[in-house]
Amino acid sequence: MPDWFMWFTRMENSKVVALVLFFVTFCGILIYVYTGKQRGKRLESYKYIPLQDDDDEQDRETGSDKAGKK
Amino acid sequence: MAHSSVATPQEYNYEIIRKFSIMALVWGLLGMSAGLYAALQLAYPFLNFDIPEITFGRLRPVHTTLVIFGFGGSALFATSYYVLQRTCQTRLYSDTLASITFWGWQSVIFLGAISYMLGYTQSKEYAEFEWPLDIAITVVWVCYFWLYTQTLRRRSQPHIYVANWFYLAFILATAILHIFNNIAIPVGLFSMKSYSAYSGVQDAMVQWWYGHNAVGFFLTAAFLGMMYYFVPKQAGRPVYSYRLSIVHFWSLSFLYMWVGAHHLHWTALPDWTSTLAATFSIMLLLPSWGGMINGIMTLSGAWHKLRTDPIMLFLIAALSFYGMSTFEGPLMSLKSVNALSHYTDWTIGHVHSGALGWVALISFGSFYHMIPRLYDTRLYSTRLVYVHFFLATIGILLYITAMWVSGIGQGLMLRAFDDFGNLAYTFMETVTFMHVPYVVRAIGGAFFLSGVIIMAYNIFMTIRQAKAEQAATEAKIAAKMARA
Amino acid sequence: MIKHEQIETNAGLLIALTMIVISIGGLVEIVPLFFIEDTIEKVEGVRPYTPLELRGRDIYQREGCYLCHSQMIRPFRDEMLRYGHYSLAAESQYDHPFQWGSKRTGPDLGRVGGKYSNEWHVAHLLGPRDVVPGSIMPNYPWLLENDLPYSDIQDRLRALRTAGVPYSANQEEYEANVERFGEEVAGQLDILNAEENLVGQALNGNYDGNRGRITEMDAIVAYLQVLGTMVDFGQYDQGYFVEFR
Repeated sequence: MPDWFMWFTRMENSKVVALVLFFVTFCGILIYVYTGKQRGKRLESYKYIPLQDDDDEQDRETGSDKAGKK
Repeated sequence: MAHSSVATPQEYNYEIIRKFSIMALVWGLLGMSAGLYAALQLAYPFLNFDIPEITFGRLRPVHTTLVIFGFGGSALFATSYYVLQRTCQTRLYSDTLASITFWGWQSVIFLGAISYMLGYTQSKEYAEFEWPLDIAITVVWVCYFWLYTQTLRRRSQPHIYVANWFYLAFILATAILHIFNNIAIPVGLFSMKSYSAYSGVQDAMVQWWYGHNAVGFFLTAAFLGMMYYFVPKQAGRPVYSYRLSIVHFWSLSFLYMWVGAHHLHWTALPDWTSTLAATFSIMLLLPSWGGMINGIMTLSGAWHKLRTDPIMLFLIAALSFYGMSTFEGPLMSLKSVNALSHYTDWTIGHVHSGALGWVALISFGSFYHMIPRLYDTRLYSTRLVYVHFFLATIGILLYITAMWVSGIGQGLMLRAFDDFGNLAYTFMETVTFMHVPYVVRAIGGAFFLSGVIIMAYNIFMTIRQAKAEQAATEAKIAAKMARA
Repeated sequence: MIKHEQIETNAGLLIALTMIVISIGGLVEIVPLFFIEDTIEKVEGVRPYTPLELRGRDIYQREGCYLCHSQMIRPFRDEMLRYGHYSLAAESQYDHPFQWGSKRTGPDLGRVGGKYSNEWHVAHLLGPRDVVPGSIMPNYPWLLENDLPYSDIQDRLRALRTAGVPYSANQEEYEANVERFGEEVAGQLDILNAEENLVGQALNGNYDGNRGRITEMDAIVAYLQVLGTMVDFGQYDQGYFVEFR
C-alpha cells in the first residue's frame, strides 16, 4: 500500500477527510437541487410520472367495501 | 397501436409480477412460521425435539433467509418490475430473462432452506448459502441487472423516476456485497463445504459491511423505491418534494456503506474503524428522516384518507416505524449504548421493528394496491385489510417491547456488581429472567403471522374473484358471438 | 461538468455514479485492514487448528452455535470477570470464517477451553439441563451417535492452505512450521499426516469417553477445549495489547 493511503488510516486524518468529503458532496447536491427556479420547476414536474399511467383510478377505490359485501 | 408511445396495461408483462407476488406471500408465511417456531424454542427448549434439522441453530437461518430473501426478495422483484414498467411505460425487455430470475431465485431460496436444515452453511449471518448457491445467486442477479437496465433504456419517458434509482442502487449494491462477502474456497468440486477467503478481523469487517448494507440496500433502499411509487399512487397525489427525494437518494447511498463496523464496537476491530462507522451512523439519521418526512408529507392535505383507506394506514404506519427504527439505530451505534445493547435482544428487537414495521408493512400496503390491478379486479374485502392492519400493529408492538425488556434487562444484569465488587448475577440468572419476554415475543409473532394468514386468504379470494369475473366476461362475449 | 439532468436521463451514468458513491465507504474502512500491521497483535502461541479441532469447528458451524454464542470478549470489567482477558484479533487470525458472533443467548465461548472437563462438555451437549438447570440450549444427542467423517480431511486442510493458513504440503513448508510453531505443532499441521493426526488425537484425548469410536463429540469437545487457550497472558505486561487497539 502506498504511503499516502496509510495516511488516511490514521484516525485524526480519516475523520477530517471523511467529513470534508461528505460535506462538500452534500453541499454540491443541495446547491444544485435547490437553486434555479427553472430547474426547481423541472425537477418537481417529474413527480407526476407515476400518476401519468392509464389506470382508471376511481373505478378501483377501495374506500367503500363494495367488493366485500357481495 | 404498434406506434403508440405509451404502453397499455395489456402490453406490460404482468404474469411475472403475479408469480413473484404469490411466492412472496408463500415464503412470508413459511418464513414467519419458522420464526415463530424458533421463538417458541427459546421459550420452551423441549420444542427442539432432538431432531437435528429443526434445532434452533439450523432453523434460525431458515427463518432469516425465507423472510429476507424469500419474502422480501420476491416482493422486491415483483414491485420493481411493476414500477419499472409503469414509470417507463414500456414492457420488460425480455420475458425469458424475467422467467430466469423467477425460477432461479425461487430454487435458490428453496434449496438454501433445505441445505441449512441438513447442516450446510457458511456460518456468516444472512449469507449462509454455501458456494454452489452463491454462484446461482450471482447468475440470477446478473440477469436481473441486465433486464432492469435494458428495460430502462427502452423507456418512453426521458426522465428516470426516482423510485427506479433506489431499485437500481439496491441491485448494484447487493451485487457488490454478495460477491465480496462470499469469496470462499470450496473443499472440493463435489463438496458443499467451503472456507471463507478472509479470516478473523478482516472476515468480521467484510461480513458486517455486508450484513449492515444488506439492511441498508436490500431492506431499506429498495423498499424506499417501493415507497416512492406506491405512496403517491395510493394517495392519488405526487410525492411531497421531488428535490428532497434526490438529496435523499444520494446522501443515503453514500452514507450507508460506512456504517457496518458499528456491529463490531469494542471488539478486536481497530478503534478508528468502528468510531468512523459510529460517526456515519449518526449522520445517517438525516437522510433517513428526510425520506420519511417526504413520504408522510405526501399525504399533507389529504389526511382524511387515513380514516377511510386501510392501505394508506399500512403505508403510513410503515413510514412511522421506519422513522422510529432509523432513530433507534444511530442511538444503538453510539459506543456507550452499544456496550449495553450489543449481544442482547435489544438488537433483535431493533431489527424486527425495521423488518416487521417497515419492510413488511410497506410490502403489504403495496401488495394490497398492486395485486387487484394485476388481476384487473377489486380487493375481495377491505374489512379484512383493517383486521390485518390491527393484528400486525399489535404484533409488532408486543414484539419490540418484549425485546426491549429482555435486551436492556439482560444488559443491565450482566454488568451489575454487588456491594463487594463481585458480579451480581450469573449468566444463567439472566436466561431465567428472559423467559417471560420470550413468551410475549412469541405471542407478538403469532399476532403478526395471523395477520399475514388473513392477508393470504384475502388475496386468494381476490384472485379467485378475478378469475370468475373474467370467465363471466368471456361467456358473455361468446354468447354475443354465437347470436351474431 | 456533468449536469445532473444527464444523470437523470442516462441510465449508464446513473449506474456509474451510484457505484462510485456506494464504494467509497467500504474501500476506506476495509482495505486498510488488510495492510496495516497493527491490526493483528504480535503475540506468541496462536497456531492453526489441528485436524480434529478443525472438524470440531466445522460441526460448531454446522449446528449454528455462533447464533447464540459469541467468541469475542470485550474489554469491560464484567466480561473480564465472567470470561477472562478480552479477545485479541490475533486469536482468530486462522478462523475462516470468524466466529465472533453477534448475540449472547448463551455465554461467550471465546475462552471456554479448559474451564470444564471433557465429561462435563459431553454431559452438557447431550442434555444441557442435566448440568445447567434452566438452560434453553437444545440437546445434541446425535453428536455422540454419529461417527466423525474424516475421509476428506486433507481436502479441507488444502482449502484452508489456499486461503492462507500455514498447513504444510511439502518438506519446505513443514520446516518453516517447525521454526515458527515448534516440532510438535508442525507435525499436526502437516497435510499428508492429517488422518493419522486426527485419529491419534481423538484416541489419546478420548474426549467423548469412548475409546473405541471417533465420534463428532470427540471433535467438537476437542475444539471447545482449545478455545482461547493458545495465548499465555502471563507473558505480557498489562497494557501491552492496548497499543494495538
